[in-house]
Amino acid sequence: MFQAEKFIEKTIVNLQKEIKGKALIAFSGGVDSTVCTALVNKAIGKQLIAVHVNTGYMRKDEPKQVTQLMKDLGLNYRYVAAENEYYQALQGIEDPEKKRKIIGEKFIRIFEQVARKENIEYLVQGTIAPDWIESGGGLRETIKSHHNVGGLPQDMKLTLIEPLRDLYKDEVRKVARVLHIPVSERQPFPGPGLAIRIIGEATPERAKLVREACDIVEKEIERASEQGLMERPWQYFAVLIPIKTVGVHGDKRAYGNTIAIRAVQSVDAMTCHYSTIPHEVLDAISTKITNTLKENVNRIVYDVTNKPPGTVEWE
Amino acid sequence: MVRIYVIDNGGQWTHREWRTLRDLEVDTSIVPNTTPLHDLLKKDIHGLVLSGGAPRIGLDGTLGNCTEYLEKADFPILGICAGHQFMARHFGGMVQPSKVPEFGKVKLTLCADDALFAEVPTTSIVWESHNDEVTKLPRDFIKLGESENCTIQAMKHKKKHFYGLQFHPEVEHTQYGDQIFKNFIQLCEE
Repeated sequence: MFQAEKFIEKTIVNLQKEIKGKALIAFSGGVDSTVCTALVNKAIGKQLIAVHVNTGYMRKDEPKQVTQLMKDLGLNYRYVAAENEYYQALQGIEDPEKKRKIIGEKFIRIFEQVARKENIEYLVQGTIAPDWIESGGGLRETIKSHHNVGGLPQDMKLTLIEPLRDLYKDEVRKVARVLHIPVSERQPFPGPGLAIRIIGEATPERAKLVREACDIVEKEIERASEQGLMERPWQYFAVLIPIKTVGVHGDKRAYGNTIAIRAVQSVDAMTCHYSTIPHEVLDAISTKITNTLKENVNRIVYDVTNKPPGTVEWE
Repeated sequence: MVRIYVIDNGGQWTHREWRTLRDLEVDTSIVPNTTPLHDLLKKDIHGLVLSGGAPRIGLDGTLGNCTEYLEKADFPILGICAGHQFMARHFGGMVQPSKVPEFGKVKLTLCADDALFAEVPTTSIVWESHNDEVTKLPRDFIKLGESENCTIQAMKHKKKHFYGLQFHPEVEHTQYGDQIFKNFIQLCEE
């Protein structure tokens, strides 16, 4: 069995050997990067600088919450507002693999800038097993290029450190609990963020729509789980499908986009079963999204695909 | 401590096989499928798992050094998905593109008693992900299980402890996956 305490001990010793100087950690505020930060912090202390990039594809209030988390953890941190840079880079891009690679490269260029300014040589990432498995390479087929593996530019100058490479999410959570990390149970959120929850071009307007829809799905499902109506899924969110269908709004014709509700049960993200959300909860989500986003969305669908053949995220 | 290595044929779940074995207290390691058998013998291994992978065994007849393992090994071997298909093809069976490929949740029905399935009920849920399948059993093999759309889900060599599984016992959603691994480990220990 995986032993979190042993893993922590061994990793800290290894990190102390590996990192000779200052290091930068790509900090998203999720469980992987936060666990990674705690481990590296224990190993090299103030030599570690946490960098959080606001890509413009974050969830509602997320940049604020992540900044607060970095403060609470007592980290030496930098916050980079790069929304417009990302929006520009993704202009006209529809292919999901291109999106992922552009986002991955942009992250690295931003980290390199910080590194140059602050004389940093090492880049720490909270990469876990499914990230490199699905990114492919050698014999392994690329399922999707995770921004932190398949999206890394070849000419990257920083030395990469990935202490969680062999772990799956459930194991990272075990480590998080031992380290008393406040976000130990937080649901996964992909590095490319909402950009891959928008099918087609990820414009700022569409990001706003899917952000709102994700927020509604999260809140309604969390409320239903707290009330005991359902088990809290492993991951749950909304996807914007910019396919228009006809509707009717107050005796007038409507013609708007579609939102898909996605929720899955998993342990390690390598296989998933779609979550069975009670109809009353689906109903509440549907009404709320179509009323809140009435100018743009008039149809809600529910994704009932397992992994395989689907993946959790749509892109 | 029993030592079972995982031969990496490039599967999405190769690392999951390693994890399952490690969680069951096995001394395990993932090695490339180009590893020569004598290198494995130097490590004094008690068994091998041949992982799945993207190669289309029905269309292409090679899979690294897997031929050598199957020809010379005197320890148990568990072939999974592409590993299973390669085993069948190697021993004279036939592998072809599936008429109805299976992805995700499928019902497995066992059709013979065997140590590999000790304490596994006759029907159970398994997880699948394959485009090809074994369509003709090799002569020295017997069939152990089937599903609605795939007639050879599990097979075993008549004289050796060589097993092939089309489904994936290593993933969380396969109901009795851990039990099947426990049984295989026991065969390796004997």
